[in-house]
Amino acid sequence: MGRELKVALYRALGYGLVLEAMLVAAILYWPKFKPVMGLLKAMVPSWMIRGLFDAQDAAGIAAYVNLQHFFKGCNTLGVAVSILFAMGAVAGEAQRGTLEIWLARPLSRRRILTERYLLGALAVVLPVFATSATIPWLLTRVDESMPHWPLVLSSAHQAIFLLAIYSATFLYSCAGHKPMQIAFVMLGITSFQLAIYLVQDVTHWSLFRLVDVRVFGAIQARGCLDAPIALSLLAFCAVCFVASQWVFARRTP
Amino acid sequence: MQTVSDPRPPVLAAEAEEGRIVVRGLTRRFGRKVALEPIDLDIGPRGITGLLGPNGSGKSTLLRCLLGIVRPDAGSASIDGVALAGDGVKVRQRCAYSPGEIALYGELTGHAHLEWCLRGRGRTAEARALEIARELGLPLDRRVRAYSHGMKRQLLVAAALAPDVRVRILDEATEGLDPSKRGAVLELLSADAARGTTILLSSHHLGEVDRVCDRLIFLNEGKKLADETAASVAARAQRSVRFTFSEDADIERIATELGRIEQVRLVVEGERIDVHLDRDDARPFIAAVCTSKTIPRPRTIEFGALSLAQMYRELYGVDGC
Repeated sequence: MGRELKVALYRALGYGLVLEAMLVAAILYWPKFKPVMGLLKAMVPSWMIRGLFDAQDAAGIAAYVNLQHFFKGCNTLGVAVSILFAMGAVAGEAQRGTLEIWLARPLSRRRILTERYLLGALAVVLPVFATSATIPWLLTRVDESMPHWPLVLSSAHQAIFLLAIYSATFLYSCAGHKPMQIAFVMLGITSFQLAIYLVQDVTHWSLFRLVDVRVFGAIQARGCLDAPIALSLLAFCAVCFVASQWVFARRTP
Repeated sequence: MQTVSDPRPPVLAAEAEEGRIVVRGLTRRFGRKVALEPIDLDIGPRGITGLLGPNGSGKSTLLRCLLGIVRPDAGSASIDGVALAGDGVKVRQRCAYSPGEIALYGELTGHAHLEWCLRGRGRTAEARALEIARELGLPLDRRVRAYSHGMKRQLLVAAALAPDVRVRILDEATEGLDPSKRGAVLELLSADAARGTTILLSSHHLGEVDRVCDRLIFLNEGKKLADETAASVAARAQRSVRFTFSEDADIERIATELGRIEQVRLVVEGERIDVHLDRDDARPFIAAVCTSKTIPRPRTIEFGALSLAQMYRELYGVDGC
């Protein structure tokens, strides 16, 4: 457990630092971006993207933070990291032949898999909360402010979404043997989902509609999580976790 | 009518299972391939039992099924009185295992690897594993990726010999070791067995099996071919003689002459003739061959020592190593 926890924390640290660097760069760019936002909006041909600018017009810095940190940072880097952290969970052990020695210890498979799932999940969600916690302080550098609680809610929503991606990949890893293949498939699916988000005729089919600027804006305005989306995603995570246990219980090294 | 399945009191029945490996009808298929036909075994308590067979004979599958690492399709098994059920965690708590395939976490040091392998076994087992590893001369502060194949094997053996359990299951425990390390590991196994542990040792190496095992189980294509004690193997050895003649000798004619001396089973290969007698003492037959006027003088006579290799050859039709 000690070794696995250390690995999870190192992963979380690395991912968190990159996420924070992206966040710092975005916030420090705000003073230059704010005056030209109207001009940029006028140049955008798609109503889809124009809607993002409209949200920023209406909500100001909060919408900008939602776009830069949650939608851009967490939905690109975070999704990739969720897949990369889960792809080798079991398939990686199978590929390097350590699955047998992993299973030969006097520990139940349920416990082994639960520990691995939770430590990976911790590495995925911890940096989302940690980096979001630095936002109020960073905003003071550009003479802006934002309350803490809406950011906690947005982080929770984002973390649940990333957890769903992580859980699906984890399930795939429990059944698969080749981590790289798993990563390619999952990154392919998520890239496609992100691509169609920006195509106005099919945008409503994109999973990223569940975590776009409008959803974060609504969560922050209401002061509570979007229960239907959050509960659906949590239910999906639970199904993936139970299915992972079922698959892993039958797994042969 | 009263039915009594086991007249012994429950405590005594449980004691009788201590240190034993009991297998009933254990079966495993991989797709269409039958890896393990229904197999029955009663091993222990105490002693070292060798599990022999060529590659793909089902040895590793059997061992993995016993530990719950591979789920059997049918049948039952128990180790040290604990039945194999669920994912086999209770069975794994009662026995130690060393896998046949060497795949370790290269980024860990030897010390950390032993701790990782022995998670759930307690501090005593960890201390014992470190002691064994030091006895074997392993550099525990070095990363495992810098270890040779043999050192990795010894690390696994140290982890398997450390827990305080009554049963150990070792798959190819001396594979890849040089003769001196192999001897050291076999001595550790013998000492452990002498303390009352039951050891099931899978191996391709007939020499080591011959040296330490008091019972031999032969598998082929998932079936149990033979189950012999060291005494029965020794008796078999007394019935087998290998003659080697000079290169210019007429081996076919000599074989015919040997058959005239006594009703025997012959295997001819090059200038070598293996003779299998029906009686227990081969010495009168050897004397008859040496005094025969029609049979040239053999170059060498080997008697009473080739039994296991010959047995392997008889069972599988290939030479053992």
